[in-house]
Amino acid sequence: MSIANVSTHYISEKVSQVRWLPEELQQSERFVTGSWDMDQNFVRLWRLQSNQYVTATDSEVDQIPRCMDKVRMEDDVTAMEFVDKDTLAVSCADGHLSVFNVHRAVEEDQMQRTSRSGRLHCFQRSQEPAPCTDLSVYGTDIATAGEDGCVSIVSVENVRQVKRQIEADSMALFSICYISQQELVTANRMGVIRMLDARVATEAQPKTTFMVASQDDKSNFVSSLAKHPMQQHILLCGSEEGSITVWDMRNLSYPASYLSAHKSPINEIGFHQKDPSKLFTAAEGGEVWMWSENKVLGCDYNKDGHSPWLSGDRVRSLVDVEGVLSNVRKSINSFDVHGSRLVCGGDTEAVYLVDNIV
Amino acid sequence: MSDSGVFAFELGDDLATRCGNTLTGVFVPGSRIALSAYRHVTHSSRDEPTENAGQVPVLIYMAQESTLFDEPVLRSVLAEANATFATLQQLGSRATRAEYVNISRAYRSIVRSCLEKLEQAKKSPEVQTDEARLQRLCDAIVVFYAAECLWHLFEILYIQSNQLVVPQLLDWARFHSPHAEDRATDLLLMGEEASESDDYWSIVKSLIMLGEIDVTRAVLSQNRKAGQTSFKAAEQILKSMPVYQEGYALQKFHSQWEFWHVDTERKIQSGLFATEPELEQLIRLVAGDSEQWDAGIKESQDFYEYLPGYLLFTKPTCKPFELKIAAAKWLNRWCLLRPEREQCSMNRMVSQLMDHDLRLFIYDAQKLNDTHWFSTHLIDLIHHCGQLKSYFDQNNIDLPALRHSMIYEYGSYLMTSHNMWQLGIDYLDCCKQEGQAAIELLLPRITLRSERQATKLINLARQRGLISVEREICKVLSKRSYDNERYGNALEWAIRSKDVLLVTAVADFILKHYSKTGCMLCPDTIANVGGRMFASPRLVFLSKYFEFYEFYRTRDFLSASELLVNLLESKITPDYFWPSLLIDSMPLLESKDPKIFAKETVAILHHIETDLVPIIERDVSKYGKHHTETVFKDYRVENVDEIMNLLRLACARNLARALIIENTLPVV
Repeated sequence: MSIANVSTHYISEKVSQVRWLPEELQQSERFVTGSWDMDQNFVRLWRLQSNQYVTATDSEVDQIPRCMDKVRMEDDVTAMEFVDKDTLAVSCADGHLSVFNVHRAVEEDQMQRTSRSGRLHCFQRSQEPAPCTDLSVYGTDIATAGEDGCVSIVSVENVRQVKRQIEADSMALFSICYISQQELVTANRMGVIRMLDARVATEAQPKTTFMVASQDDKSNFVSSLAKHPMQQHILLCGSEEGSITVWDMRNLSYPASYLSAHKSPINEIGFHQKDPSKLFTAAEGGEVWMWSENKVLGCDYNKDGHSPWLSGDRVRSLVDVEGVLSNVRKSINSFDVHGSRLVCGGDTEAVYLVDNIV
Repeated sequence: MSDSGVFAFELGDDLATRCGNTLTGVFVPGSRIALSAYRHVTHSSRDEPTENAGQVPVLIYMAQESTLFDEPVLRSVLAEANATFATLQQLGSRATRAEYVNISRAYRSIVRSCLEKLEQAKKSPEVQTDEARLQRLCDAIVVFYAAECLWHLFEILYIQSNQLVVPQLLDWARFHSPHAEDRATDLLLMGEEASESDDYWSIVKSLIMLGEIDVTRAVLSQNRKAGQTSFKAAEQILKSMPVYQEGYALQKFHSQWEFWHVDTERKIQSGLFATEPELEQLIRLVAGDSEQWDAGIKESQDFYEYLPGYLLFTKPTCKPFELKIAAAKWLNRWCLLRPEREQCSMNRMVSQLMDHDLRLFIYDAQKLNDTHWFSTHLIDLIHHCGQLKSYFDQNNIDLPALRHSMIYEYGSYLMTSHNMWQLGIDYLDCCKQEGQAAIELLLPRITLRSERQATKLINLARQRGLISVEREICKVLSKRSYDNERYGNALEWAIRSKDVLLVTAVADFILKHYSKTGCMLCPDTIANVGGRMFASPRLVFLSKYFEFYEFYRTRDFLSASELLVNLLESKITPDYFWPSLLIDSMPLLESKDPKIFAKETVAILHHIETDLVPIIERDVSKYGKHHTETVFKDYRVENVDEIMNLLRLACARNLARALIIENTLPVV
């Protein structure tokens, strides 16, 4: 691996979410950010452009992001995912979901909101909006989780029509993830992970639940869920204590493995989409780490269809970890990886670009 | 920048005018003051309504500290400076001078970047059409331009602390007087035709007075008369001017420079430039001629603009202590020649730096309208450098205390600005006990807008060992959830808060709701409490009762029976729940196939007589029979007396069956 190159760009907004625009054959040079805890929150479209102020001392920073377009949001941006290469779904703390169209152009890229859902999440008693906390996309379906403990499923083609509303939990949900066309998992503030069937109503939901591992009997919410891009039965959970719990969805009797990682909550966890031997975690304490399968040992396992993530106590010897970003000291809330480039952002009101990541 | 020392408020409304413009004020949350008209009352004032009562409206005004940082572009200054500040704290007081210079340059780079962004923002269409915002941006540019200029000068004189200050002062002056250099670029592009511009000689003289030798030579070399003797002589003078480099033998340099200087003067006196008056004036500047420099001063914008250039041509090896004298002389000279120019803050502060009057400089720095950004970060850097310790000691200034005070005020300001708390906390972290106390007070008062935000606040509190803050936030969220009838959420936050009373209260509500309605609230939450049930005895009871409830619901009656008897024995059953708990035993007691054995049946009877009956009797005697009938009821039975009779009967029958079965020998 060549030396990673980090550049910092202050954008005057607390970044809650960041995503590369999907590209098939080339390195993405555009990304979107969503902000939170600002007087006005925006979804912004950025593009990397040559730095016209290059000097001898700044030769490392050859590209800087420039804001191409922005759309004002009604409240904090809480989650963003691309449904396809031009369509972005954004969830908001006012309980609504928005869909954006991103138009790539030679000069000025554009982004516009094409539709907005009705209120998907709301507290029953007070009828106040409940924050949407996370969303997950499968095909054209979008599932959102909220602080009201509900899950709403809509189609990107008609977000005003709710296909399914599930009262999943009596507690705030923090994370949601599709694991197949019909199955979802949610995670709440107790660390309880629940499996839901997207096809049936609340009353008929399966009772499958399991709890994220914890070092002792302390509160330990699950803040992020990630599934393996190639092996759909592998689910990774990032938790409040900073640990990673790995579940094999085929056998939920006990966790497949458990890793101590960060000393602060893990805010985002995810695999490189093209290179599933790389996992990334971002933490509240300001670190981004990369977890790599140890190739020498790993290849034997992969032959048998095994994954080092399911190897229980041996996972430590099969997976290497290294710091991608450190010493930032404030929360990194979100990251995304595309090709050899990672973008992340957080409460320093900055975006960090890391080149040569793999 | 404002020069006034004290701010005065005048409301000007009718009532205030009648009261002689005296005011009363109260601090309100958000760093604001509520102001209204006030008339002083003494012990001899008549106690009756004034003539204004009911006649003149009472107006209340909100005064708020103006801040530049509501502007998005300026937030980058705060965020980047916060990162640099944190880096400096890690560096501590034992780093090398080069490291402190780097920190200083990082701060200046932040401001320069900000100024660039402000200039760009000014031109954007949305700002051009918003007059108020345009004015704010212009004000910000003035403020931060001043901040960067002063910081740059401070860096040269007090952080780098080189003995040779002239070259650096030249860079500083050029950066802050860019007009001549910009114009020179235009002239160079014009080639030979440049010399016909109206301002040609004016620009060339400015370049000389800014010490831009190379640029001047480039411009002159394009002059149509460059081939003439006088121009060649000028080129030779400029080209051969000795330039001191660090490490040179000072005495040798002085000799060379003096020779060059005398030679230049000799050429002027010989009439070599007589045919080119403008060129002669230029060379007279190079020779340090007072008359020509006086003429230049009259054209300058600020007193410090041409001082470095003057030093270059009169005292190129000027040292810091010599600068003090030279600057004072220059300021006097400038004031004499520019009597109409008011002494502005910038000139005064530059003069203070050159005079080594840091005490006044720091005082004036706090008047910049930048929410103390400049003064706070500069003082912190001064403190860490340590190079000025003796100065502050001699002037009886407690630098650590001053730094502490400014960082504390700045950090408190950020934490009370509703979305800058994450930046502010880093400053308060540096303020020892007082900062810790401020964090403890301010952190719980940040408006909670979502649970994700709350988890961030809790994490900050946890990192600092602020257990009480962590718990307070959890309690607020628990009560908020409770009010929203989200009892599972309320219970979990209560457990996190470790407040026994709160956990007990939520668990009580759930149990009471169940005994009234038969519906178990938030079963999924209760099912997963796990080891955390020990937060409160009431929660232990609730968790165990829920376990019983689940056994019963799934028809695992033997386990249910065992657990029920354990609950009866546990001594943690709340008084109001005894009827429900005992009634739960009835279906088990009534079963044809005994689920509860003889010994356990006796225990149940025992609890009826020793627990339920005394509770009811105490309650009746204390509150009356009606209260008892209201409180001690279950959704399944209307009257508690009926409960007891039925229970006794059920126990008797079950006991009979159990005894027979248990004492019958198994049939072989």
